[in-house]
Amino acid sequence: MSRGLKGGVFKGLLFLSLLVGFLMLAALLVDVFQDGLPYLDLTLLTNPPSSDPKIAGARPAILATIYIGVLLLLFVVPIGVGTAVYLEEYADKRRWYNKLLEINIQNLAAVPSIVYGILGLAFLVRGIGLGRVLLAGAMILTLLVLPTVIIAAREAIRSVPDSIRQGGYALGATQWQVVSRQVLPAAIPGIATGSILALSRAIGETAPLIMIGAVTYISFDPTILGPFTALPIQIYSFLRLPQEEFKLLAAASIIVLLAILLTLNAFAIFIRNRYRRTW
Amino acid sequence: MRISFQQELDELEALLRVEGELVLRSLRGAVEAVCSQDVELADEVIAFDDDIDAQYFEVEQGIELLLARQTPVASDLRLVLALLKDNLHLERMGDLCTTIAKLTKLTKGLPPDETLLAGFKEMGERAEQMIRVAIRSLEQRDRVAAESLLELDELIDRANRRVVNRLLEIGHDLEVREWGLRMILVSRCLERIGDHAVDIGEQTAYLVTGEFREFTDASRQ
Amino acid sequence: MITTTGQASTIEPMSLAEIAREHGDENVASRESVFQVRDLAVSYSGNTAIREVGLDVLKNAITAFIGPSGCGKSTLIRCFNRMNDLVPGAKVDGEVLYHGKDLYAADVDPVEVRRRIGMVFQKPNPFPKSIYDNVAFGPRVLAMKDDLSERVEGALQQAALWDEVKDRLKESALGLSGGQQQRLCIARCLAVEPDVILMDEPASALDPISTTRIEDLMHELKRQYTIVIVTHNMQQAARVADMTAFFSVDVAPDGGRRTGILVEYDKTAKIFTTPADKRTEDYVTGRFG
Repeated sequence: MSRGLKGGVFKGLLFLSLLVGFLMLAALLVDVFQDGLPYLDLTLLTNPPSSDPKIAGARPAILATIYIGVLLLLFVVPIGVGTAVYLEEYADKRRWYNKLLEINIQNLAAVPSIVYGILGLAFLVRGIGLGRVLLAGAMILTLLVLPTVIIAAREAIRSVPDSIRQGGYALGATQWQVVSRQVLPAAIPGIATGSILALSRAIGETAPLIMIGAVTYISFDPTILGPFTALPIQIYSFLRLPQEEFKLLAAASIIVLLAILLTLNAFAIFIRNRYRRTW
Repeated sequence: MRISFQQELDELEALLRVEGELVLRSLRGAVEAVCSQDVELADEVIAFDDDIDAQYFEVEQGIELLLARQTPVASDLRLVLALLKDNLHLERMGDLCTTIAKLTKLTKGLPPDETLLAGFKEMGERAEQMIRVAIRSLEQRDRVAAESLLELDELIDRANRRVVNRLLEIGHDLEVREWGLRMILVSRCLERIGDHAVDIGEQTAYLVTGEFREFTDASRQ
Repeated sequence: MITTTGQASTIEPMSLAEIAREHGDENVASRESVFQVRDLAVSYSGNTAIREVGLDVLKNAITAFIGPSGCGKSTLIRCFNRMNDLVPGAKVDGEVLYHGKDLYAADVDPVEVRRRIGMVFQKPNPFPKSIYDNVAFGPRVLAMKDDLSERVEGALQQAALWDEVKDRLKESALGLSGGQQQRLCIARCLAVEPDVILMDEPASALDPISTTRIEDLMHELKRQYTIVIVTHNMQQAARVADMTAFFSVDVAPDGGRRTGILVEYDKTAKIFTTPADKRTEDYVTGRFG
């Protein structure tokens, strides 16, 4: 086979794999949109669920998802960035305990989400007696995505060239001043992107929430220390109802969920591009 | 740009000009001493050569340092090399003036010839003029002025030949002959001073054009 | 006089009096010394990078460290502002006196040291902030309360950069050319009013014209500051430095350990016209290695 032909075949195969993924996704989306678009209206967003599909909505679930998202950011960003700063700037990398810490974080990122669910149930719901509340859900999702945020923050901090730090120190700045005034500001794009991606992953998680006791049917607005459900769970519960219309409502809810996720991801990309630096 | 380098070059040129002034003083003193047979003045001229040598040494050191530290190239390099050679020419001129002074001392008491002395006076003035032109043409990078030195030198050469002829005329007396032979050397010194001035002019032309060319003249052949 | 016979032997630091006597230059003797280095050795995780260094750095003079790569000149200059503290495993033995006080004494705060002794690096490293914020960073972190804008302008003027940036102080520093960025780094350093400016190969990443500008700037700055420069460009040292120290690499007999040593330290004119040590001569004439 000539070299040109080989190149062409290779290119073709690559395109094919792209096509496969793309087509599957497209098929999924087309199916969902066909079913759900007619049912995407204000009632979905503003009404609580009910047994009557005509007035059923997903409001508590949407609100709960939003609350969880906000709490998640409030928890995961300080803890994640703080850990990353410690590991990158302050820790003596040669010490054994720091090496151990490093390995563990990599491992934690790979743990299946249901394990976090069990963890939450044992320690948060029962152990400290928090109960089956939204706060517990937010906390456990925090733990789930924390390793990802730490890794993203570390990458962002590492990508700040050492010459910047040296320049700061040479002017007489203390370590804290260099970190807070040079390193972190320069690392914000990476940290922001990582956090938002972590958030969008967490929003789609179902298993841990079910484990710690999210309910499948709730008709009042959620509070932080009260029972709750989340959008993925609501979708699942819609699908289990007998009426055909609920399936279509489920499709509409999926569109809402996808919209939230896409918006978050677009925001992450926007931040990444806007603040991209060339050193 | 390269401010300190330019300053150093300017300082070297200034030092060289000072050396030129010293040589002019020495020349005037030497010619005056020979024309009025003034032995004390001759001694002063001989002692003064130390000043010229000191200046020569300072310029030479300065050039060595400049070459080592600034690595001049192109026209800067030609300038430094020209200054190096001009420095030598000026120092040689100083030595020639000293020789004239020594010859003056040696011929003390011998009978002078007025015509010859008048000739020396004229040659001295010519030589002075040539030194001035040489130094000024370097300062102003004036190639035409530098080349004019050749014509001036021609005048000194002719005067030198007249000295020999004059001596043949008057050299019957033993003492006059002795004086005359020494005076031929004085004449030769003055003529050499003129040649050195021409050489300085050649360096200036080299500096300006980048080519070294001896100023040739038909009458030299 | 620094002389070594054959292999490296104990180096005696050249005191000012000795330098003055050597060259009959009374001006030199009247200059006070800013740094006095005695028997200095630096090692990284047990490997000695440079040893047995002794010299005096003179006030308001430009002192250059030259030598082949690996001779420890960058390591040495970083001892003067305790930047080696930031390298894990770095150990400094010996004495570095700054105006008579031991820089490495237990009660000395490295942050305070770096305020007085500034540094400009090989690759210009402006912060990813505006030009104004770059120069203002130092005064801000050191809580220098007086008029910041005046300070910034003054520093930029001293660094011969003001005219080129005065209309765009709020623009990003990363938009400047390489030569401008390096002058910005110098301005940044000057804004905190240091006593000494250390320059680690400040012009090696720059084009020839920018290099000449930096060199002219150094001549200006040395009136007010003391400057120490590391350079691998000998001609640069010849052009700018008043005093030059030549370092070389001492290879252990078994061909293993490579350590930097000070070979000769003298007036630049001497180093480049009649160096005392053959190794210096070999290096400056380009016959080294």
